[in-house]
Amino acid sequence: MSKIVPSIVMVAVSIALSGCMQSEKQDAKVTINKNPYPSTYKALPQTKTLIQNATVLTGTGERINGADVLFVDGKIVQVGQGLASDGATIIDGKDKWVTPGIIDVHSHLGVYPSPSVESHSDGNEMTSPNTSEVWAEHSVWPQDPGFQAARAGGITTMQILPGSANLFGGRGVTLRNVPSHTMQGMKFPEAPYGLKMACGENPKRVYGSRKQAPGTRMGNMAGYRMAFAEAAEYKRAWEKYDADYAAGKNPEAPVRDIELDTLKGVLDGDILIHNHCYKAEEMAMMIDLSKEFNYHAGTFHHAIEAYKIADLLGENGNCAAMWPDWWGFKMEAYDMVKENVAIVNAVKNSCAVVHSDSSTTIQRLNQEAGKIMFDANDNGFELTEADAIRWITLNAAKSLGINDKTGSLEAGKNADVVVWNQNPFSVYAQAEQVFVDGAKVYDRHDKKYQAKSDFMLGQE
Amino acid sequence: MKLFRYSLVALGLASATCANAASIAITNAKIHTVTEQGVLENATLVIENGKISAINPDTINADETIDAQGKILTPGLINSLNSLGLVEVGAVSRTRDAREKKADMTFDASLAFNPKSTVIPYSRKGGITTDIVSPSGGESMFKGQTFVVNLSGEFDSVEKTQQGLVIELGSKSKGSRATDLQKLTYKLEDAEKALEKAKAKKKDDKKEPKELKRDEKIINAVLAGEKQLIAHVDRATDILALLKLKERFQLNLVLVGAADAVVVAEQVAAANVPVVFSATSNLPESFDSLHASLENAATLNKAGVKVVLTVNGETHNMYQLRFNAGIAVANGMPYEQALAAVTSNVAEVFDLNAGQIAVGKDADIVLWSADPFELSSKVEKIWIDGKEYDTRSRQDELRDRYMAETDMPRAYVK
Repeated sequence: MSKIVPSIVMVAVSIALSGCMQSEKQDAKVTINKNPYPSTYKALPQTKTLIQNATVLTGTGERINGADVLFVDGKIVQVGQGLASDGATIIDGKDKWVTPGIIDVHSHLGVYPSPSVESHSDGNEMTSPNTSEVWAEHSVWPQDPGFQAARAGGITTMQILPGSANLFGGRGVTLRNVPSHTMQGMKFPEAPYGLKMACGENPKRVYGSRKQAPGTRMGNMAGYRMAFAEAAEYKRAWEKYDADYAAGKNPEAPVRDIELDTLKGVLDGDILIHNHCYKAEEMAMMIDLSKEFNYHAGTFHHAIEAYKIADLLGENGNCAAMWPDWWGFKMEAYDMVKENVAIVNAVKNSCAVVHSDSSTTIQRLNQEAGKIMFDANDNGFELTEADAIRWITLNAAKSLGINDKTGSLEAGKNADVVVWNQNPFSVYAQAEQVFVDGAKVYDRHDKKYQAKSDFMLGQE
Repeated sequence: MKLFRYSLVALGLASATCANAASIAITNAKIHTVTEQGVLENATLVIENGKISAINPDTINADETIDAQGKILTPGLINSLNSLGLVEVGAVSRTRDAREKKADMTFDASLAFNPKSTVIPYSRKGGITTDIVSPSGGESMFKGQTFVVNLSGEFDSVEKTQQGLVIELGSKSKGSRATDLQKLTYKLEDAEKALEKAKAKKKDDKKEPKELKRDEKIINAVLAGEKQLIAHVDRATDILALLKLKERFQLNLVLVGAADAVVVAEQVAAANVPVVFSATSNLPESFDSLHASLENAATLNKAGVKVVLTVNGETHNMYQLRFNAGIAVANGMPYEQALAAVTSNVAEVFDLNAGQIAVGKDADIVLWSADPFELSSKVEKIWIDGKEYDTRSRQDELRDRYMAETDMPRAYVK
């Protein structure tokens, strides 16, 4: 019955309009499926779990000693002292530390997997300065053994990005770090898409060396502006189509353009920007670019010089994803300071994130954060473990637009939890148990919870 | 008396280049000697003329005395097989001197070493006093020869040149690995034959022996065991092939990388061949390295292999060597063995008079705020050849500039 109602309305509208214009039968509305490769992720088998008497870093800036963490049906129920256990699986947290699951906002696992043979090089569509049409998820090899190694390091969520040869490298995808034989089986339900952009040396080197634009930094900026100008036209065309159709007309739908769909998604606010951008002056220009075309400049990745513009980032609400100490591999990475993250973190409205961009250091993001905390404290900061953990949990979740679902140990959030054998900012720390949506996905002392990729099976 | 005169000369020289005291006593230290003496509590160390002159002497007689307040003293850490001082900025071709397309075994990159590289003071933050620098060569499987530098940043910091011959074996993107193994074998065979022939000739030939070519001299030195053969290699079969060559030609062999050495750990140990690798390499990066694991350092050490830890490739972050040792400990390597893997083992493998706190050794010493492997500790003082060096780097200057209170553009903050 309810199906008929809209039709009647439609008929009524048509009749109403026929008085003032030629009556026209509408073709079927053309709509774009924004989610054609939907997540099929399902949480692994889980039980009600109570971790007792641990040192808990909530991810919200709080540390609670001797605390319990209770999760039921994949959600955090409560964090506090002396919680009831009623039939829960008990984990003795004495001498252990508990943190939210670690999130890496910048990974190429699956698209640059191990072994790194030619057939596996699927992370950088170096064929045009603008490849907004490619989606990293279409390259992900779920059997990459790197996913298992990252899980042993407490990584529960990560964004897989395409590489940085292009002004627009394509869409990134946010994955749950669970074993699966399809990409969809790892896809984080309802996580927004990210668009990888790249400033600076990479695009101008790759295309400039081919005698093609961009060959300079000003060429880079021109490329971004031209693409967003086109995307703005495309958005207008769709909006006009939608409005005309809604008005009962029978407009012709704009020609579908997969590349511009992504840029339009940015302008619509559905797709978040993840911008490989090292230098202070370039980040400042990318912020102005976002204002010129009315979108948000998102997260700056590899932001080596973020400390030079920490205030600007805070004022504009940008996250900066940084390494503790990578430097010197190119000019735009020359001005590294080890306190970069701490300086960014210190300003109002900051969003400092520590990322890996590495299949090796993704296994130790806790130590990467630790290095920063200790160095900064040697040089005038007063940071605590509760501060440092945010760089790889809640702030990372914010950068990916999933901070309503994960990134902290708060009631109602996904039970993404790591139990560490000691203070996670020690070089000797090991993740002992890792949970995704309340399900144990890794146990250092139980082979049953140590997944092995198809590739590694039977290799002697 | 002779000793006394020597000290005076040395003192004179030292005072020309540095303002430091010629003799320093460090008291009340927890000394990790990395010798059979193990760890000494509340110990005193005396440095004189660039060498360690006494440990726990009856009386202290030094120009300067430093109270270590119970903190940890270790030998300076030694990193190896990277391009320190040869590459300032990786992607800037004009700052790169570690590679040369046509480089062969004679390639001596020490001529290009820059002691003023910004990487050097930064690396001292990691307690590193010495480095074995390696060229990365060119198209030939022979990459050139290693050299030894200290991290003083002084113009005379190259200590030894043309030490080991670096070779890369294993998987190739073009052609078969067999060719390289064959070439290496032929090279050694031919050189051995030539030597025998020359010996036989000497007896009855009165003519001057032919002057050897430079590469022939290098191969002969390798054959004589005087020059190390430092082989980058991963797959177990390649390692076994090298062990055979070592036995046949009595080579002084060092394995680098050696991801799958664990598979043939017994053979490697039996052949007394050291292995240099990074403790953090644990992914099957190629079909040659399917057995890379965080536990490899512990496994090889347990099997009796001399383990040397290094920081993979990333010269600019070699300061992390101490953390890599910590990661090896976290994954099963005994603490003192891990410390040896970044000090005494390296010195032993690359023939340096360092890496231990013992009388007569070079005074390359680090005073740490706490456990040197921990993320939370830092270098408090560092001495190279008995002279104290700063750990302040360009990075510190930048940080201070951007953290300073100022109304003027930051370019005025110096």
